[in-house]
Amino acid sequence: MTFRVLAMSAGLAALFMSASGGSVSAQAITIAIGSEPSTLDPQLRDDGGERQVNDNIYEALMARTPEGELIEGLAAAAPEQIDETTWQFTLREGVTFHNGAPFNADAVVASVERVIDPENNSEQMAYFGTIAGAEKVDDMTVIILTSGPDPILPSRMYWMKMIDPGYAAEGDLASAPVGTGPYMFESWDRGTELELAAYPDYWGGEPEIDEVTYRFVPEPGTRLSGLMAGEFDVITNLLPEFTSTVPKFAAVPGLETSVFVLGTDNEVTQDPKVREALNLAIDREAMVQALFMGYASIAKGTHVNPAAFGFNDDLDYYDYDPERARALIEEADAVGAPLVVVGESGRWLKDREQIEAVAAYWAETGLDVTTDIQEFSQYLDSLMGDGPRPDAIFIANSNELLDADRETSFIYHMDGAAASNSDAEMAEMIDEARVETDEDARQALYDEILKRAHDRNYTVPLFNLQDIYGMSERMEWQPRTDAKLIISEMSVSE
Amino acid sequence: MTQARPHRPLRALLAELWQDKPAALGLAVILAIVAMAILAPLVAPYDPADQSILSRLTPPVWNDRGSWEHILGTDNLGRDVFSRLIWGARTTLTIGGLTCLIAAGIGTVVGLWAGFMGGRTDSVLMRLVDIQVSFPGILLILLVVGVLGPGMWTLIIVLSVTNWMVYARLVRSVVSSTRQTPYVEAAEVIGCRPSRVIFVHILPNLVSPLLTLLILEFTNIVLAEAAVSFLGFGVQPPDTSWGLDVASGRDYLFIAWWLVTFPGLAIVATVLSINLFANWLRVTTDPEEREKRHARTVAARRRRRGTA
Repeated sequence: MTFRVLAMSAGLAALFMSASGGSVSAQAITIAIGSEPSTLDPQLRDDGGERQVNDNIYEALMARTPEGELIEGLAAAAPEQIDETTWQFTLREGVTFHNGAPFNADAVVASVERVIDPENNSEQMAYFGTIAGAEKVDDMTVIILTSGPDPILPSRMYWMKMIDPGYAAEGDLASAPVGTGPYMFESWDRGTELELAAYPDYWGGEPEIDEVTYRFVPEPGTRLSGLMAGEFDVITNLLPEFTSTVPKFAAVPGLETSVFVLGTDNEVTQDPKVREALNLAIDREAMVQALFMGYASIAKGTHVNPAAFGFNDDLDYYDYDPERARALIEEADAVGAPLVVVGESGRWLKDREQIEAVAAYWAETGLDVTTDIQEFSQYLDSLMGDGPRPDAIFIANSNELLDADRETSFIYHMDGAAASNSDAEMAEMIDEARVETDEDARQALYDEILKRAHDRNYTVPLFNLQDIYGMSERMEWQPRTDAKLIISEMSVSE
Repeated sequence: MTQARPHRPLRALLAELWQDKPAALGLAVILAIVAMAILAPLVAPYDPADQSILSRLTPPVWNDRGSWEHILGTDNLGRDVFSRLIWGARTTLTIGGLTCLIAAGIGTVVGLWAGFMGGRTDSVLMRLVDIQVSFPGILLILLVVGVLGPGMWTLIIVLSVTNWMVYARLVRSVVSSTRQTPYVEAAEVIGCRPSRVIFVHILPNLVSPLLTLLILEFTNIVLAEAAVSFLGFGVQPPDTSWGLDVASGRDYLFIAWWLVTFPGLAIVATVLSINLFANWLRVTTDPEEREKRHARTVAARRRRRGTA
């Protein structure tokens, strides 16, 4: 097996050599990312590092424009909904995997079945929970079945990467991936770097950049100095303060929204007045201007991403009114009452600073605020475990599917993993919205849900964060809303 | 040996210290820092947790954009760096000092016992040390913090438990070599009790190596505390420590050097002062070194007189 993989990568390398040997100026870039992929299997883990690499090797039936609009990917057109639980996809002709195998209905069926196979225990089931199976109609047509009505199936299929069933059976998906994307896997020196090379037979035309090297650099400061030294061409998660230092940068509204989830059954935060005071006590404008240098926008009354389906445009921003906040705390007879703020450090942009700043604002209302910065695994347990809900817990919630279902099920639904309320009525509405296939009716439901949660102050939404990338002088790239690093969209000017 | 030294009043000791200017300076700085830590509420111009987001990253007063309001500037949330420095001294000195003392206490007892008894006791105790050394410290920290919850006292316990082994090894090696010396053998032969042998004849030999090790370890503890606090195991906001301020300021090193520099300088100043003072203390407590120092001063005096 190892020998076969070696032979295959040697073959791929030879293929690459012959392809690029002719061109005069082979262009190579180096990208510094924050974490190394835990595996290169595109279907098992929910891992940002893995996606940053595999988004270039694999493709899905659906894709998104850089602005976030859903378009066809490996499907030839948008899917056709045959009945409530059946969707039909027609596939693009002439697509081949990097090993030469054709992309067809069998590949789609195998990919779907592999992800949803309980034996594989894929972490990505959070995105694919409603998918029941796939059936081949003919070579280029496939139907996908859902367990119930699922209005966002097309969005889900944008997340599911397509694999070659032949290679999946005998190759080594975890360390030598083979997909249909514009780049093919070259080498992976674990702990150091990973190389990709352009796939000359890509159905969308050969990409401009021929060779890509990924380097794994967890420290933001190290990434920055690497960029300044000319070692890297693109770095992720640039701090806003350094936008004036780097040769070039690009910022784009991202998928992440920072929010505090309030425990509505806890002793202090069960009082609606206290929760309202917590929302009124924070000077979000000052935080955006000073902490994020303007590279964030204030969340408009909810943690649901404004680009997502279901966002309620009519919600108001929470005001900054420290006087009223203090008055409310006094009215609620909560002066000096203990409030524990739980958070983590180092996972999201300026997480610790947001937590400390908000805790200080809350302390000004008269509550006795203590901050509990936890180690990440312990934090995850506080966020999603079965233990008692924290008074307030910080999270930068990300919405990859750009649909309100994910955010509401996760944080508003009383059975949601990160939810801290016990509002059964709202949970029912969320369940209803999840299966409502009429778009207008569905939007109306979300409007109502978000309004209810906003008025009852179930959460303290903070900011829609922007993703900032630092780039070398020669790079030309407009980053994407969905935060994917698609190298075929980059170019190099020399 | 210690009893052989004539009784000295404090004044004479201070006069002796004054001869060694760097050591005297070191002691002065240590006392100043300790006083600052104790009197923090009176000395600090601001509450260390008082933030003002809009005036964040203000540089120190001598910079063009600086102002007298914040002498050493403000940090990434607009908190006064000088006040945080003063309050941070409390945490840092408490954690560093107590951890070193507890770890040295445990280590010395184990080392003395192992070195003095020898044989099977020695093997068992030293294997215990080996096991503890090979056990990953961070895992132990995780376990203890998981049970006790994060905080300053947890940190002191955890760091003591993960750092005593080095003392045990040092003490044991000194003890087992001292046991062979003629004066210890003589003491045993004339029938001194083991406790007398240990405390009167062996322990004084340990003072200077232990002091040196304590100071080296103090620096380690300060840095370990910073790393652990930064991960979220240790000091929790709004409390702060020097190490934590260095750790959370390092992302801003390129644009706001004062976040890292001042707490960093505070650590350096403390460690250097302790070092200078401890060096004098080591010589003063070691009879042989004392003799040598005395001889050097006398020789120097004679030379000066001769040339003049």
